[in-house]
Amino acid sequence: MPKLVVDGKEIEFKQGQTIIEAAKEAGNTIPHFCWHPSLSVSGNCRVCLVEVEKMPKLVIACSTLAAEGMIVHTASEKALAARNAVMEFLLINHPLDCPICDEAGECKLQDYAYAHGVGESRFVEEKTHKDKRVPLGPNIMFDGDRCISCSRCIRFCDEIAGAPELTFVKRGDRVTIVTYPGRQLENPYAMNVVDICPVGALTNRDFRFKARVWDMSANKTICQGCSRGCNIELWVRNNEILRITPRQNDEVNSYWMCDHGRLNTFKFVNADDRVDGPYLRREGSLAKVGWDEAFAAAASELKQFNKNEIAFIGSAFASCEDNYMLREFALNVIGSRHIDFMRHSDSNFGDEILRKNDITPNTMGAELVGVTPAAGGLNFDGIINSINEGKIKALYLIEDDILSANPELENTLAKLNLFIVHSSNFNKTTTLADIVFPAAAYAEKNGTMVNFQGRIQRLMPAVATLEQDRSLDGMAMSRLDKFGTRFDRWAKGNKRDVRPTWKIILSLSAAAGYKLIRQAQANMAEDIFEIMSKKIDAFKGLDYDKIGEKGIMLKIDVAEKA
Amino acid sequence: MEKIVLPDIKDLHLIDVYIKNNGFNAVKKALLQKPDDIIDQVKRSGLRGRGGAAFSTGLKWSFMPKTTDKPKYLCVNGDESEPGSFKDRQIFEYNPHQLIEGILITCYAIGAKTAYVYIRGEYHKWIKLFQKALDDAYSQGYVGKGMKTKFQTDFFCDIYVHKGAGAYICGEESSLMNSLEGKRGYPRVKPPFPAQFGLWGCPTTINNVETITNVPAIINNGWEWFSKIGEPKHPGTILYGISGHVNKPGVYELPSGMLLTDLIYNYAGGVPGNKKILCVIPGGSSMPPLRGDKIEGVKMDAESLKAVGTSIGTGGIIVMDEDTDLVKVLARIAKFYYHESCGQCTPCREGTGWMLKILNRILNNEGSSKDLDLLISVASNIEGNTICALGEAAAWPVKFMVQRFRDYFEKRVSPEVLIPVANKVHSMRHTAFPIADIKE
Amino acid sequence: MTNFKFTEENLKKIDEIIKKYPVKRPAVMPVLYIAQEQNGWISQEVMLEVAKILDMHPEEVLGIVTFYTMYYQKPMGKYHIQVCTNVSCMLRGAYEIYDRVKDKLGIGNMQVTGDKIFSLEEVECMGSCGTAPMIAVNEDYYENLSKEKVEEILESLKKS
Repeated sequence: MPKLVVDGKEIEFKQGQTIIEAAKEAGNTIPHFCWHPSLSVSGNCRVCLVEVEKMPKLVIACSTLAAEGMIVHTASEKALAARNAVMEFLLINHPLDCPICDEAGECKLQDYAYAHGVGESRFVEEKTHKDKRVPLGPNIMFDGDRCISCSRCIRFCDEIAGAPELTFVKRGDRVTIVTYPGRQLENPYAMNVVDICPVGALTNRDFRFKARVWDMSANKTICQGCSRGCNIELWVRNNEILRITPRQNDEVNSYWMCDHGRLNTFKFVNADDRVDGPYLRREGSLAKVGWDEAFAAAASELKQFNKNEIAFIGSAFASCEDNYMLREFALNVIGSRHIDFMRHSDSNFGDEILRKNDITPNTMGAELVGVTPAAGGLNFDGIINSINEGKIKALYLIEDDILSANPELENTLAKLNLFIVHSSNFNKTTTLADIVFPAAAYAEKNGTMVNFQGRIQRLMPAVATLEQDRSLDGMAMSRLDKFGTRFDRWAKGNKRDVRPTWKIILSLSAAAGYKLIRQAQANMAEDIFEIMSKKIDAFKGLDYDKIGEKGIMLKIDVAEKA
Repeated sequence: MEKIVLPDIKDLHLIDVYIKNNGFNAVKKALLQKPDDIIDQVKRSGLRGRGGAAFSTGLKWSFMPKTTDKPKYLCVNGDESEPGSFKDRQIFEYNPHQLIEGILITCYAIGAKTAYVYIRGEYHKWIKLFQKALDDAYSQGYVGKGMKTKFQTDFFCDIYVHKGAGAYICGEESSLMNSLEGKRGYPRVKPPFPAQFGLWGCPTTINNVETITNVPAIINNGWEWFSKIGEPKHPGTILYGISGHVNKPGVYELPSGMLLTDLIYNYAGGVPGNKKILCVIPGGSSMPPLRGDKIEGVKMDAESLKAVGTSIGTGGIIVMDEDTDLVKVLARIAKFYYHESCGQCTPCREGTGWMLKILNRILNNEGSSKDLDLLISVASNIEGNTICALGEAAAWPVKFMVQRFRDYFEKRVSPEVLIPVANKVHSMRHTAFPIADIKE
Repeated sequence: MTNFKFTEENLKKIDEIIKKYPVKRPAVMPVLYIAQEQNGWISQEVMLEVAKILDMHPEEVLGIVTFYTMYYQKPMGKYHIQVCTNVSCMLRGAYEIYDRVKDKLGIGNMQVTGDKIFSLEEVECMGSCGTAPMIAVNEDYYENLSKEKVEEILESLKKS
C-alpha cells in the first residue's frame, strides 16, 4: 500500500483516500466541521487546513487526495495559525453562550474552541443576528445565530434522505438555512441532521433542554423499530431514557437511523403503564402478587391441561435468548409441539434507505432458535383456529401485543381457559390474560437479535431494574451515576421489578419441578447464549465477545430464511 | 500603433464590415491546421489571460484531455464585475464578431462543440448587441451547423449566451460554471480543475472575453508577430480601463508594459485641476493599491507590477487625487466584497463583514491605532485560506491600503486605548492538543 | 395567493432556452428572468411554477433567487432606479447622485414610492467606471451624469 507521512508518522492509505480519511484511519483526526465521512466533500469550513510540504499554499485535508510520499503537517506553525484564524472567524458571530446552549457538551465548535481557540476575542463589533427558534419541521428546531453554514444538514437531505428540503438562502454572512415557505423538514430521516449539526443550530424538539449531555449516560444497543436493527445509543438520566441517537455501523446503518426509531421506540420503557410485578387474575381483575406465588400459580394451572391443549407464541420483539427458553419450555417441560410467533409487516414502512417492511427487530432470530411449529405442531394461524375450535385451551405468550396488532383476535383469546402473558407494559392483550409476568424491556436486558441481513447483534441494558444494577452490570455511567448522592436531583431513579423472559421461564420450570438447565449455568443471558451456541448451527462458535458492539454476520443463507 | 481587439474601423460590429476587413479568415486558416498546432501557436505567442490571473492561454488549452468520452465545453467569461473594469462591454459593442471568431478557433483547438458566453446580467444592452451579432453570424453560416458548408469542414460548434443575474462571484471560473449549471454561484473546491471537471463534470476551458478576442489576430498574423508586441513576458495589447480622477476616463487599447504615468497623463488627460495623485489601483479594485508618489516608472504588465507588489488584474486603473478620503474609499471597497462574498467558506464569509465593521468604526472616528493592526491581521487571516480568490480580492485592498498608507490612516484614528474586552474568555491556548473520540 | 402560469408565448421561449443546455436545470436563470418580466417580481408561486417546469425542487429555486441580486423578491417600481456607488463612480460623485435621487423620490434603498412608479437600489459596479457616475433605469444605462442630469431624467420618467 502507498504511504504518506502525517505529523512525522508514516501511514498507509488506499488509493483515492483524502488526507483526512487516511489520517483518521491511522488514529489522527484532523479537526473538521463540514466534512463528514458519509457525505460529499464541501470544503467550506476551512478548519482542516494543513501544511503539505512542496505545496505553495495550505490545503484542506478533506478534499486533498493522499499521495505517495506526501509529507503533511497538521500542527505546524502555519497550519495552527490558519486553524486559529478559522476558529476566530467562526466564533466572531457565533453566540458565546455555551452555558445556555443545548448542544454544549457535544458541540464540535465548543470542543475545538477549547482545543484550538486562542481563548481571547478581538471582536468588539456587534454580532450578526439571524432568526432563532425556527421550527423547521415537527421534530427539529433551528437557531440561525448558531449556524456555521457547514451545509452538513443540506447535504444529508440531498444525498442520504433523498429529500432536498433544506437550502441556503442569501449570501455572505447573511446566509441562513430555510425550508421552502410552507414546507417542512419532515422526511423520515430528518432528525439525523440534529446529530450531524456540529453546533447547536439544529436541535431535537422532543429532547431539547431536557438534560445536559454530561448528566446522561450513553448506552449502546440496537433499535427496535424494524428488522434493520440500527445500532443506537440510549441516553439515560435518572434511570430514564431521554433520547436515542444512532451509532455508527457501516454494515447496518452507517451513521443514521429513522425518526420513527428515534422517537417511538423508547417512551414505553419510561411509561406509567409498565407491568411492575407479577399479576394474577382474581375475581375478574388482575392483582399484583409476589414472584413465588405467580410461579406456583402458573405451574399448577399449566398442569391442568393436556400437553396438546397448550400452545406457545414467541415473539419477534423478544431476544433470541427469550425465544429459545420459551421453545425449550414448550418442547421439553410441557411437551407441546404447538409453537410459533406472529409476523408483523407493514408494506408502507420500508424504503430504499434503512427502513424495512418487517417492523420487528428479531424475526430471523425467532426462527433460528426454533420458535416455529415442531413436527406435527400448529403454526400461528393453526393455533388461533384450534383455540376457536376449543382444541387449544391454554396459551403462553411472550412479549407481543397480538391483540393490538390484530383486534379480530379478541373473541379467540377470550375463549382461552388459561392465558399466560409476558409483557413489559399493560396493553390490550394483557387485559385478557390470567397471569401476567413483568418482562424486562429491551433496554433493561442483555440479549441478541438477528436482523434482516442475518447479522446477530447485541442488546445491552441501559436501564437498571431491581435485579440489575447499573454499575455492577456494566451499564454506561453518567457523571451523576458515578458521583451523585441521594441528595442529588437526578440520582434517585426508579427501578422496576421486572425480569427478562428467559429468566422468568427458568424460574417457572423450576416451580413446575423441572430443571431446564442447571441453575448454576444460567445466571446471565450470556449463559443462555452459550447453550444456544452449542445447539444451534447458525450460532456455532459465537459468544457475546465475538458478536461485540457491532454484531457479526451469521453463516446462514439469508434468502432462504427470508 | 495597431489595435488588435478594438481596431478603429467604423461599424465593425456589423458582420458585413467585419467580413470585408479580413473577418473569419483566421478561423478558415485554423480549420486547415491541426488543433494541437493552434494550441502550440497560442502558447508560443505568449498570450496570457486578460481576466485577472494572467495565466498562459495556450497552456490552459493544453490541459484539456485529448481522449475523453465526455463532451468538452468552452466557457467565455464576460461576467466583468470587478470595480474599475469596463473593457469587455466594448468588445460586445464594437467588435463582437472577432470574439465569435475567437470562440470558433478556441473550440476547434480544444475540441469543444459548445461554447457558452456568460455575460453579467446588468449588461442587458450588450447582451442584446452580442446576441444580434451572434444571430447574424449564425444566419450567414459562420456558427453552428452552417460551418460545415461555409468552411468545407466536419467541424462545427454552437455558441450560446447565458445571462448572469447579479453576483460578482460568478466571475470566478468555477462559480461561473455552477451558476451556468443553474445553481447558487458557489466556487468549487479545486482540484479538480475545469479541464478535468468543468461544466456538468465535463472537460471545460474557461477564458476571458478579451483573451479570446485576441486569438484570431494571432492565427492571422502568426505567433511571432504577437509575441513582439509590448512586454515580452506579457505580450500583446491590453485594454486599459482608466477611471476615477482623470480628465479622459475610458478604455485605451495599447501595448502591454505601458508606463502607468504615461497612461494617466498622456492618454487619460491627467488629473482634473492638476492635483497630485494620492493612490492608484492598477488592475481593478481587488488589486493592491500603489501610492501616488511611487508610480513613477511603473510599467503596466504582469511581471513589472508583480515587482512593485501589485498585479495587472483586469487592467482597470482607478486613479485617486490628493483630496480623496482613502478611508471612505477603502470602506466602500470592503462593503463591496462584503456584499459579494458568497458566504460559502468561513474566512471570507465572516472576515469581510468584520473588516467592514472595523472600517466603518474608523470612518466614524471611533477607531484606534490598534484597529489598523487588526485590519491587517484579519485580512491576512482571510488571505490564502479560502476556497476561491475572492478571499484575496477582499483581503488585499484592505491589507495593502492600510500598510502602504499607514501614515494616512494613523491620522484618522486615535492612539491605542486599552479598553477591557467584554467577551474575553478565561483560558489562553496557543497550541493544539488532540481531542479523543469526537463524534461525527 | 394566485397561481402563476407562464403565457403560451413564454412557454415557447422557455422550450427554446432549454434546448441550449444538455439538461433542463441550467435554464433556471433565464426562465426566472422571463417569469420576472411577466410577473414583475419573483413570488413564491413563481418559484413553484419554475421548479415544476424545470423538474427542480422549489428549495433549489429559492436558493438561486436569493443568491442573485437581480431577481426581485417583492414588487419594484415601474422604473427601478439603480445607482452605482462603487469606487470609480463614488470618486466622481455617485453618493451625491444617490442622495439626490433618494431625496427626490423620498424613498430609501430597496423601497418603492407610494404610486409604485419608482423604486431605488444602491447597486455595485455596473461596468460604467469610464463613464461614471451612472444610474440604470430598469435595463437602460444613463452615464456621465451630474445631479442636474439625474433630476432631468427622473422628471422625464415621471411625465412618461
